[in-house]
Amino acid sequence: MTDTPLAGIRVIERATGAAAAQAGRLMCQMGAEVIMAEPPDGTPLRQEPPLLPGGTGALFAFLSAGKRSVICDPASDGFGPDMDRLLATADILIDDTPLRDRAALGLDRDRVARDHPGLVHLSVLPFGAHGPKADWRGEELTLIHSGGEGFLLPNGLSADLFPDRPPLKIAGHFAQMQGGTTAAMAALAALWSGQGQFVDVSVQDANVAVGAFAVQRLGDGSVEHRLTRSFKFGGVIECADGYVELLTLESRQWQGLVDLLGAQDWAADPDLADEVGRSARGAEINARIRAWARDWKVTDLVRAAQDRGVPMARYNTPEQVLDGAQENARAIFHPVKTEGGPVRVQSLPFRFGPEALPVGPAVPAPGADQSLLTRTDMRRATA
Amino acid sequence: MKPLAGLRIADFTVHAAGPFCTHMLSQLGAEVIKVETALRPDIFRKSHAVYGRQGPATFDQVSSNKLSVRLNLKHPDGVALAKQLVAVSDVAAESFRAGVMDRLGLGYDVLKAVKEDIVMVSVSSSGQTGPESHFAGYAPLFGAWGGIGHLSGHADGPPVEMRHVMDHSVGMNAALATLAALHRRRRTGAGCHVDVAAREVASALVGDALTAASAGIRVDRMGNADLRRAPHGLYPSRDSDRWIAIAVSSDAEFRSLAAVIGHPELATDPRYATAASRHGNAAGLDGQISAWTSARTAEAATDLLQSAGIAAHVSWAASDIVSDPHMRARGSILDVAETGGAIRAAVGRVARFSSDDSPGITRGTPDLGGDEDYVYGELLGLSRARIDDLVADRAIY
Repeated sequence: MTDTPLAGIRVIERATGAAAAQAGRLMCQMGAEVIMAEPPDGTPLRQEPPLLPGGTGALFAFLSAGKRSVICDPASDGFGPDMDRLLATADILIDDTPLRDRAALGLDRDRVARDHPGLVHLSVLPFGAHGPKADWRGEELTLIHSGGEGFLLPNGLSADLFPDRPPLKIAGHFAQMQGGTTAAMAALAALWSGQGQFVDVSVQDANVAVGAFAVQRLGDGSVEHRLTRSFKFGGVIECADGYVELLTLESRQWQGLVDLLGAQDWAADPDLADEVGRSARGAEINARIRAWARDWKVTDLVRAAQDRGVPMARYNTPEQVLDGAQENARAIFHPVKTEGGPVRVQSLPFRFGPEALPVGPAVPAPGADQSLLTRTDMRRATA
Repeated sequence: MKPLAGLRIADFTVHAAGPFCTHMLSQLGAEVIKVETALRPDIFRKSHAVYGRQGPATFDQVSSNKLSVRLNLKHPDGVALAKQLVAVSDVAAESFRAGVMDRLGLGYDVLKAVKEDIVMVSVSSSGQTGPESHFAGYAPLFGAWGGIGHLSGHADGPPVEMRHVMDHSVGMNAALATLAALHRRRRTGAGCHVDVAAREVASALVGDALTAASAGIRVDRMGNADLRRAPHGLYPSRDSDRWIAIAVSSDAEFRSLAAVIGHPELATDPRYATAASRHGNAAGLDGQISAWTSARTAEAATDLLQSAGIAAHVSWAASDIVSDPHMRARGSILDVAETGGAIRAAVGRVARFSSDDSPGITRGTPDLGGDEDYVYGELLGLSRARIDDLVADRAIY
C-alpha cells in the first residue's frame, strides 16, 4: 500500500518514559509525523540500557526510529512559545510530564484546552491524571505489580521449580508497552470523534485491562495464584537442546499428542479420553511428557507436533527470532541507522495490506529537526 | 457521546485475542455484533477443564456490551446472512486460523465485493502469510515464538509462559490497527485487510532486546533485575506472600530511600553513590531494605516510600484491584449487572475522555442469539417469517 494510515497527522511527543514514547512510536510507524520535544540533553530514554555501539539505547532506537527531534528547554523562557508554536499545528500532544509539574510549564489540561481547543491532549501517566493516586510514582517493575499480572508470575515450570521465590516480572518494558499501545488507541478514538479533548491514560489501567481475566475470575469466585494458575498439563517443556511450549486445549489436539508420543500405553488409558480425566491427572501426564521430551531436539519435536496439529512452539532466543523463517518471510525487521551503525528494528505487528509498514530510516540526534520550530507551512491535518 | 459512537462491527472473533479487540472498541462506543453458533460455541463461552475449573473460562468480561446473534457459517443461507451483516458494518473482525474465512466464503475479496470500503481485521497466531501462517497457537506459544517467553524468568531457571495478558496485548494492538484503518478510510475512502500477527506482537514487546541482539548484544533472562536501576526488586512484608515492588531510578531517590528505611548513612556510602555502584552492590542493600519492609505491612511500607517519591507498589492480586478507590474513581473498575441480576466487578474503560464520562460497560453478557430481533429484524430488515424459516432451517442456529 502506498498510503500509510495516519499520513497527514502531526504529533508532538514529550516523553521521559517508555509508555508515552511507545504511543508515539505506534503513530509514527503508521505514518504520522511525530516530533519529540526534548530537553537540551535529550530525553533520558536515550540512555536506557542496553546501549548500542555509539551509545544510543536499544530501547530508544526501537521507540524512536523515524521520529523527529527538536529541543525545547523547559528551563528557558522560550519553552512556552515554542510549545505553543508546535501545538498550533499539531493534532495530538503526547505528554508524560508528572501532573504536579504541568502548570508551571503551561501544559496543564485547562491551559492546553483553552489555547489549543482542537488538539487531542493525550496524558500518559503511571496511574493516570485523575484519582487519589494520580501523583504516585511508577516504574516498570511497580507498574506490572499494580496491574495484577506480576503477582501471578511465574507460573508453570518456573513456579514448580522455585515455589518460595517472590513473584516475577515479564521481561523488558511490558507494562509500559501496554500503557503506550492503549494510549495510542485512545488518542485515535478521540481523533475519530472530531472533538479536541483531554484523554487520560493510566499505565496501571492498561495492565489491569489486559489482565482482565483475573478480575473476571475473582467475580466468579476463584482467586488466582501463581502456584496454581498453571495449565493442568503442558506448558514449558525441556528438550535436549532448549525449551518448547506445549498446549492442547481441544480433544483433537490431545489425540495428535497421543500419536506424537508414539506407542505409549499410558497415553491410551481410557480415563484420559476426556478433558476432565486428563485434567485430573495433569501432574502425572506432565511428568511423563517431561521425561519423554528430554531426548528430543527442539526443531524435530516442534515439526512433528505441528504436523499433527499439536500446538507447540520453540522458546526462541532474540537471535532466533531475528533469524526466524516466518519473520523473514514476512520481512518484519528493517534496517535503521544509528550513530554506531545500522541495527534492525521490528515493524509494527500488524499491517494494512500484504507488506509490513516501513520503519523510519534513522534515530534522530537531539535537535536534529530544530528548523521545524521556525517552519511556516505547518498545518493541522484535521483542521 | 462515546468517541466511537456510530461505528458498527460484525464480530466473528473467538477465544481471547480477537474478542478483546472488539471489546475495547465496544467500550469506546462501537456497536459490536458477536456472531456465534450453537454448533460450536466459543471455546470461552463453554466450560473448560484444562483451566482447572468447571464453569465457563472467561467469557463475561470480553462479551459484555456486545450484541449476540446465532449464525451457522456452514450453511449457505448463514453465509449469505453474514454478508448482509457485513454490508451494514464498518468493520468485520475475525480470528480464525489463516485461510478459514476464505474457505467459509467470507474472505476479504468477498467482503469487499459486498461492502467496498469494509475494514476487515484478521487476528491470527502468525499472520495471514508466510510458511508458518497455518500454525495453531495460543498465548503461551505466541510468547515462545516471539522471544518474550525466553527472556522472562529467573536467570537460573527456565523460560516463563505468557498467559492471557499476551492474548489481550494482541487484541489491544488489533483495536489500535482497526482505528488507524478507519482513519485511513475516512481520508481516502478505501478500506483494507488488517493482518495482526500475535507472535509479532509478542516479539515487538521485547523489540528493544531484538534490536540489541541485531547489534551483537546478548540479552538474557534476569528475573526482577534491571540493567540500570538498583535497588530494584520484590521485598517481603510482615505478611506471608505479600510483596512490595520497589524500583529506585536516581541518586536522589536512593537518598530518600536511605532516610525512609532508617539508614541515612547509606546515602553517603561510596559503594552506593552512583547508579552503577549501587547496581554492582545491590545484594548488600537488599538485606537492609528487606529488614525494614519485613517489619511492616506492605501497604504501610508502600505509602511511606511513595510519600518520599519512590516508585513502590504492593504486588496486587485481583482482590486488591477490584476494591481500589483509585481505580473505582477512574471507572477502570466498575460493577456490571448480569441478566440474572447478579453483580460482578469488571474492568471498565481504559481511558478517560473529557468529552464523555459515561461508563465503559452498560450491560452484561448477552445470551446466545439474544439480539436477533434487533439485528436481523431492524438492521437487516428480515421479516418475522423469514427469520423463523432460517431458524427452522438451522441457518440461524
